[in-house]
Amino acid sequence: MLRVFTATVSLILILVFPVAWSSGEDEDPSVARAKKILREVDDMWRGTSSHSVLTMQVKTVHYTRDMRMEGWSLGKDMTLVRILSPLKDKGLSTLKSGNDIYSYLPKTDRTIKLSSHMMMSSWMGSHFTNDDLVKESRMEEDYDPTISYEGIRDGQEVIEFTLIPKPDAPVVWGKIVATVLADGYMPVKYLYYDEDMLISRTMTFSRFEMLGERIRPKVMRVVPSDKPEEYTELVYEELELDIDLDEDFFSISSLKRM
Amino acid sequence: MRTLKIASRNVFRNWHRTLVTTAAMGFAGFIMILFASLMEGLLQGSERNAVSMDLGDIQIHAPDYREDPDLYKVISDPDRILADLKKAGFHAAKRLYGFGLAASGATSAGVQLRGIDLSNESDVTQINRHVLKGKWLEESDPSGVVIGRKLARTLGVDIGDELIFVGQATDGSMANDIYTVKGILKSVGEEVDRAGLYMQDSAFRELMVLPEGAHEIAVMRPDRSTDLIAATSKVADIAPGCETLNWRELMPVIARILDLADSQMIIMVIITYTAVAMLVLNAMLMTVFERIRELGIMKAVGVKPWQIMMLVYAETFMQVLAASIIAGVSGIALSRYFEHNGIDLSSLAEGASFGGVAVDPIWRAHLTAESVAVPIVFLFIIAFLSVLYPAIKAAVIQPVRAIHHR
Repeated sequence: MLRVFTATVSLILILVFPVAWSSGEDEDPSVARAKKILREVDDMWRGTSSHSVLTMQVKTVHYTRDMRMEGWSLGKDMTLVRILSPLKDKGLSTLKSGNDIYSYLPKTDRTIKLSSHMMMSSWMGSHFTNDDLVKESRMEEDYDPTISYEGIRDGQEVIEFTLIPKPDAPVVWGKIVATVLADGYMPVKYLYYDEDMLISRTMTFSRFEMLGERIRPKVMRVVPSDKPEEYTELVYEELELDIDLDEDFFSISSLKRM
Repeated sequence: MRTLKIASRNVFRNWHRTLVTTAAMGFAGFIMILFASLMEGLLQGSERNAVSMDLGDIQIHAPDYREDPDLYKVISDPDRILADLKKAGFHAAKRLYGFGLAASGATSAGVQLRGIDLSNESDVTQINRHVLKGKWLEESDPSGVVIGRKLARTLGVDIGDELIFVGQATDGSMANDIYTVKGILKSVGEEVDRAGLYMQDSAFRELMVLPEGAHEIAVMRPDRSTDLIAATSKVADIAPGCETLNWRELMPVIARILDLADSQMIIMVIITYTAVAMLVLNAMLMTVFERIRELGIMKAVGVKPWQIMMLVYAETFMQVLAASIIAGVSGIALSRYFEHNGIDLSSLAEGASFGGVAVDPIWRAHLTAESVAVPIVFLFIIAFLSVLYPAIKAAVIQPVRAIHHR
């Protein structure tokens, strides 16, 4: 449920993904370098604030959905997504503020806060969960990155990072393997492993085109490993970074006003 | 006849001892009868809660629905199955299940949504009469919902309050709507109490975008004393390609507890009666030893050993018979009392459950022929066994040595 929510927000968040990696002072230099690059990947996507318009296609064995949505973010803790179409879901809005997710339901004119029960359920029918939305901004706190490969792969110079969860981190993944282009630090592929270290889902980035004044991947596709015929694909139409937004914009009351 | 006469004389000779022995046996029997009927009441209450409030006798599901309850796994032709079941004399109702979040104000909780076929459900279960507060669902009010009591407490809602449901519909869209709490159920079982959200099936179908099919068909036999297994296979024939299970298979824990109840009862009886057996053994040994010269004379004048045994047994029989009458009369009387005036446990064990089935807060006894017969029959068996040693002792007495005994 709330799949829409998760998907939209996740799209934005995940594109922006490896959120600001801070470096401790007494760290291994390769760990420090891994954090620095991942932080750069993240900064490229998120900026201090962002506004985007994107479409999402979800294909499952039961349905195919096409949605269009608009999203805003500020810092790494605040994200707001509103559904533009289809008509049935128009106006549905999701607000992520820190670790909380709120959903505005235009049909009932009510805003609800998602309880922990809902965290592992789908956002807006997509292959993202609400938990993805929340956890995305905690990557740095929850995982230790190392560079596990550097060199040519499929004709491209890439850097591969392995992100291992910290011992007591409240995460669902066993590890994440992220492949980033060495030139420009653009994400190519993220592999999410479950606790048994089997690939659980694959996220690939494509269509490296001009977007928001520089080249970025416009398309992100997530394929769950247990259902390879299904996918969720996000396509950026517009992206503006470092725009003028303040925290009030991300309040529960503004959810409704939109 | 003469044996009985002599026996009764002996029984009354030391009437203090007889009284104590008989009273102890009678009391033990009385306790066991009361215990048996209270246990029976508890078990029947649990079975009733499981079967008549929720499960029904037999359930039909799509093949692997139970392992992985998925909104899409429906019985494709529920109406045909329903019609055939009715033709075969069964009561049956369609049910729909979904999962999601119910929210009220700032609180929310995960819920199991249940779409109820109102016109048929009341033939299958009595859930419609199990409402604690407010009313059951009504055809005329599609936005009214009935919820479990713990869920009501979690959400802090009462009759007339609004409730928002959010979930995922079959088309991937966000199912969401606003409902009014119409009723709060009495305790049914953990699942329903904590997460049950009942609405009528038409409202469910619209909310979850599920125009066809059903997740479950619950079936009830018109006469519950008929053979469950035969009925199950009859229902399975009507619903080919589906999984058909009866309540014993659906709730094996409860079924096993019920099955074990009889042997548990017998173990309890044996433990309690062991104490009684020692008392009887002691009393009868004493009567034998204090009459040892008398018994020696009887043997000397030609009374056969088996006649002496008969005598001791006759004495025991009289006492056990008196004890049984005491036990039966008082046990039945008190069990009857607790049948009509249950023991109120609501302050002690509110919302208690075992095996996921709610226990009624009012504990009533249920008196059956078995709960009276088992304690009494065992009383006789135990007394006769324990008197075996004194009886043999008396029978094999040597007349000469007995007469000189002092």
